[in-house]
Amino acid sequence: MLRYIAKRMVFAIPTLFAVSIVAFIIIQLPPGDYLTTLMADWASQGGAVEAGTVAAMRERYGLDQPIYFQYYKWIAGILTRGDFGISFELGKPVTELIWNRLGFSLLLSVLTLCFVWAIAIPIGILSAVRQYSISDYAATFLAFFFLAVPDFLMALSAMYIMSAWFGQSVGGLFSPDYVDAPWSFGKLVDFAQHVWLPVIVIGLGSLAALVRIMRANLLDELSKPYVTTARAKGMSELELLLRYPVRLALNPLISTLGWILPAVISGEIIVSVVMSLPTTGPLLLRALLAQDMYLAGSLILLISVLTIIGTLISDILLAITDPRIRLQ
Amino acid sequence: MGYPHKLPGLVMSTGLLGAMLLGALSPAGAADYKQAPMLDEQVKAGKLPDVASRLPEHPYVETMVEGVGKYGGTLRTTILANGDQYNLTRTIANELLVRWDPQWKKVMPSLAEEFKASDDATTYTFKLRKGLKWSDGKPFTTDDIMFWYEDVFMNNALSPAKNPTFTVAGKPVKVTKIDDLTVEFKFESPYGLFLQQLAYGQGHLPVIYPKHYLSQFHEKYNKEGIPALLKANPAAGDWVALFNSKVSLTFQPPYWQNLALPTLNPWVLTVPYADSERVVATRNPYYWKVDTAGNQLPYIDGITWAKLDDPQLMALKMTSGEFDFAFRHINNSTFKSVLFDGQKTGNYHFVDVKDLPANDAVLLLNLNSTDPVKRKIFQNKDFRIALSHAINRQEIIDLVYVGQGAPAQVAVQPEHELFNEREAKQYTEYDPKRAAEILDKVMPKKDAEGFRLDETGKRFTINFMVADVFGLSYPDVMQMVQQYAKDVGVDIQLRTTDRARLNTMWSANEQDAYIWNCVGGLSEVYTDPRCYMPFQKADIFFAMKWSEWYSNHATGEEPPESIKALMAAYDKVNAAVTDDDRRQKMKEFLNLSADNFLNIGISRPMPKYMMTSNNLKNVVNGIPITGNLWHPAPTLTQWYFDKPAK
Repeated sequence: MLRYIAKRMVFAIPTLFAVSIVAFIIIQLPPGDYLTTLMADWASQGGAVEAGTVAAMRERYGLDQPIYFQYYKWIAGILTRGDFGISFELGKPVTELIWNRLGFSLLLSVLTLCFVWAIAIPIGILSAVRQYSISDYAATFLAFFFLAVPDFLMALSAMYIMSAWFGQSVGGLFSPDYVDAPWSFGKLVDFAQHVWLPVIVIGLGSLAALVRIMRANLLDELSKPYVTTARAKGMSELELLLRYPVRLALNPLISTLGWILPAVISGEIIVSVVMSLPTTGPLLLRALLAQDMYLAGSLILLISVLTIIGTLISDILLAITDPRIRLQ
Repeated sequence: MGYPHKLPGLVMSTGLLGAMLLGALSPAGAADYKQAPMLDEQVKAGKLPDVASRLPEHPYVETMVEGVGKYGGTLRTTILANGDQYNLTRTIANELLVRWDPQWKKVMPSLAEEFKASDDATTYTFKLRKGLKWSDGKPFTTDDIMFWYEDVFMNNALSPAKNPTFTVAGKPVKVTKIDDLTVEFKFESPYGLFLQQLAYGQGHLPVIYPKHYLSQFHEKYNKEGIPALLKANPAAGDWVALFNSKVSLTFQPPYWQNLALPTLNPWVLTVPYADSERVVATRNPYYWKVDTAGNQLPYIDGITWAKLDDPQLMALKMTSGEFDFAFRHINNSTFKSVLFDGQKTGNYHFVDVKDLPANDAVLLLNLNSTDPVKRKIFQNKDFRIALSHAINRQEIIDLVYVGQGAPAQVAVQPEHELFNEREAKQYTEYDPKRAAEILDKVMPKKDAEGFRLDETGKRFTINFMVADVFGLSYPDVMQMVQQYAKDVGVDIQLRTTDRARLNTMWSANEQDAYIWNCVGGLSEVYTDPRCYMPFQKADIFFAMKWSEWYSNHATGEEPPESIKALMAAYDKVNAAVTDDDRRQKMKEFLNLSADNFLNIGISRPMPKYMMTSNNLKNVVNGIPITGNLWHPAPTLTQWYFDKPAK
């Protein structure tokens, strides 16, 4: 097992290297750079930055240098000093910005995952065990309905309903009083009052997929001989269900668990933008729009790293839960 | 209304202001100044000097809209999470040497108590109010202005290019300190528009550089200390970057990220516009304006901006009563009905804003196109006239702008004294027959599909760049224009693009044509004629090579005589010394511009709106604004809550 993990990690290095190059090139692909964005913004406000000033700023930011040199500077900073560069727009080191938001992103993702699993697994089991019953149809219908509604629309509707009908303050993860306050019991309660809405909105979309996966897998398992055998031996229905078929049906869920890590950064960007959540999603979107290249590049690189780590974790978890995989 | 330079010596500018100053304050004296209750305790504890010694000897007395207000309350408003720093500039950073009166008719004293222009419009003298203080309590004097001039503006590392507001014919201004309160700006050639330019938001440069604070980051003053400062600030590589990270020349993000920077603004930031979920500002105890009863302004204690990523959420929060004021991003037709319906639940109402540019949608053909065939046709005025007649403007306005607009060319708005019917209305009738007739003379030959051929025998095609900006639905407008052009045999191909791409294209003079909006609907036309002539500024590019030539005859391309005459006419506006003369010269210039008919306007904009809480008073209804006449900063200090919350 340890050897397997070590091998995987070694193989990850060239992948990461390639990804970092691709990420950097992609960000450079659109015409212009951060300064063109800045100039356009400024021009739309009735101002104008003189061409000479822009040229000087471009030199100062190193934007006039060839792309490979900019890449070298960036990657060398990361490898030697853990320095991911500066966000042009926010005037801060990229690391500082990312860590600020990563916590909330992670928290939100974990809460959403818990929510989705807590709902999807029981519904999936119920759907499979009572195949073609009214509850199966109802669950399926609802799941597909939420899958079909775009999540930004769901976010907007949910916020409108909460705001117009219940008079709740929506958007963000805190009320204005607590935004800048240090953590306290009050802030925690406030957080809990706000976080459930984005969790539900983000979660409902992936709910359907999980319900279907769970249902399909379980149906496969239920018809297998070992189930019949166990039943024939007089095992209680519930115990039987939970001990073997459900455990096996969870496999695909576990194998996608690793994806939660990259989703922490890139997932649900639109919902986060619509609901103004302090997560990394809006940060990445804005960095791309403004061509804030070190910030965008670092976030994309981070997504890649987390994808690799996440897949590794999934594999390890699978090996633990499913002896068949371990044996191979 | 004349500028004071017509009067002998240094004079108070306006009768009204002078009368109020004398009537309300001078006999009563310093003892009668009052301050916000939130400052009482700090004064009692000795942390702040008393209000009279915080104010200048003659504070600026604000003209009240409705009357004297009450202290207290926090103004809740909103800002986009990124790239919206100008929202802050517009709200709380409009403190200048001189300012526009609220009607945008004349230039008035502001930080400068008195000002004077020489008769040849080359020399301007400003006398500062005595006792002005930065927000940290340190005095603001001509030394600060000289610091800007000598160490920032004239320093080639910090200002590699000189801001055009302070240059004439490529030559930068010479600033001289006369004494601690008096400073002189001298230009090499006449610059009659200088005071007007200085009164716009971009005239802020001389007054945003506190020397006592910023000199520590300047090589000239602190060469030994800078390496240590650089070490502490990994974001800066050298002293120039360090300096620019503390203050920025054009209110770019760093200005709003440095809480330590002293300002002359009415509110000072306590939570910066960086990565937090909101921005917060609190009253500047040293603010230098009072109301007519001697109460130190501003009335409102503080401002909070909720940082939101999405305008839809702004609208939602406005209707649920979470903001007291909102304007930008949601004052367009998309949100109007929702915001209208939400007035009761949100406890706000609409206030008119005269944001009136010259035109909302302008077709800008590239008269300096690199393609010689296209260039020749674009430069043919008859071709432009024909295209103009081919467009059914009213239909576009009805379908795309829900009736909000009027068919018009790029022209000054009817309510302004410079309005001229011909300039606004010429060639705006929808007359495809006439258009076709004119085109038959320009490009008589057609191909099998009915499209006209150019002189080389190829189909004449305009590749029109279309970016979806300003909420003005340009893609929709252009689809209609494309059809109208097709009706008269002109092939227009639409190329949708984003603004950044367009930006690089026009900077390289690569575009055939694009659609944009045009400033210059009200008084800003004097200082910013970018749509009326080839004039190098920001986002209007229809004759780039000629405008380059205009700013520097050694570059660009020499334009034809008619364009040169237009440029000469504007030079006369700039050199005019008296208001009457300037107005006259401007009319001549606009007339000449209409004769040249350089671009094709579609719709004249209608007033916009903003939302303010029903509790807010002293809000001007119908305040004029434009790109660089910022809003609501000029009157925000007198806003007050009738019933302050908490």
